[in-house]
Amino acid sequence: MEEEVDGILVAAHELKAPLAVLRQLAFSFDELSANNEHIRAEMINVSERAIRQVNDLAKVRRLEDGLFEMEPVAVRAVCDEVTEELRHLFLGEKKGLSIHYTNKERLVTANRELLRSVIYNFLINAMHYSDTKFGAELTVKDHYDRVKVIVRDHGPELPWAIWKEMKEGWIDHPTEIAMRPGSSGLGLFIASKFSKYMNASVGAVRHRDGTSFYVELPISKQASLF
Amino acid sequence: MIYIIDDDEIMSECIEKACKKPARVFSNAIEAMLDITGGELPDLIFLDILLDGPDGFAFLDEMMSYPDTKKVPVVIVSSLDFKNKDLSGYGVVGILNKDEMRPEEISEYVDKYVK
Repeated sequence: MEEEVDGILVAAHELKAPLAVLRQLAFSFDELSANNEHIRAEMINVSERAIRQVNDLAKVRRLEDGLFEMEPVAVRAVCDEVTEELRHLFLGEKKGLSIHYTNKERLVTANRELLRSVIYNFLINAMHYSDTKFGAELTVKDHYDRVKVIVRDHGPELPWAIWKEMKEGWIDHPTEIAMRPGSSGLGLFIASKFSKYMNASVGAVRHRDGTSFYVELPISKQASLF
Repeated sequence: MIYIIDDDEIMSECIEKACKKPARVFSNAIEAMLDITGGELPDLIFLDILLDGPDGFAFLDEMMSYPDTKKVPVVIVSSLDFKNKDLSGYGVVGILNKDEMRPEEISEYVDKYVK
């Protein structure tokens, strides 16, 4: 078992190396014409997203080591950070992203790095499935003694099978049932694994014109700054 | 002179280009160490950690064992996560993550340490 874990981590490193090179190559092009500048941006974006996904997969393998400490995390700050990072991607895709904070600023019990990945994966998924007319929506609200972070898209309906699996708890593997057209279900699998580690619940709401994915996190009892 | 030690040829080229100053590229730690001990000291070294043969830490140990080479500033350039790690005891003045670094971060170190 130990060898298998090491093998995955080594493979992750090997996968990342060419992506990092590709990203640096894009930076190293001499000045491009305005018409071609988007190619550089796209090369950088694609490689950064792939690197992030490989890093997340490596983290999934490390979850069992329990190395990710739980701490009070300002949930809005994490949302701000992720949406700022993804803002140019949404702009590049000509898709909107609206943000709604309907509660007070809260601290939740989570691991900042993992929570960041959960929200990132939900938003990347929403960007993929939203069209230029209806953008994605990120909402943060109180839900009893928890904080709910919801990401709504306007894509195809979520298949019943995956919705049922999410209702029951977690997506345990990136299988076909976790897929919508054009998706491997990997982002959802990663979000599900990280949420489970943080004792948070994930779920999905089916809409006629899309899906909302959410994660519910316990409000931190250790500290409340606001 | 700037030294770049990385077994990935294309990554080395990218770092060299970002330096905007003359640099020597080495694909392994042994070649670099032989060059350093037998000649002039570099002003700055960009060092990968996972190398063919002796790794970056073996190189740093060797650098630390001589009074003159231990003073050479080294910037780690790696895909490994050294976030919040203090490697100043190895003469490391900076850490760049290959997954996230930008060319201007490389040139900032060059401006700071290379005359």
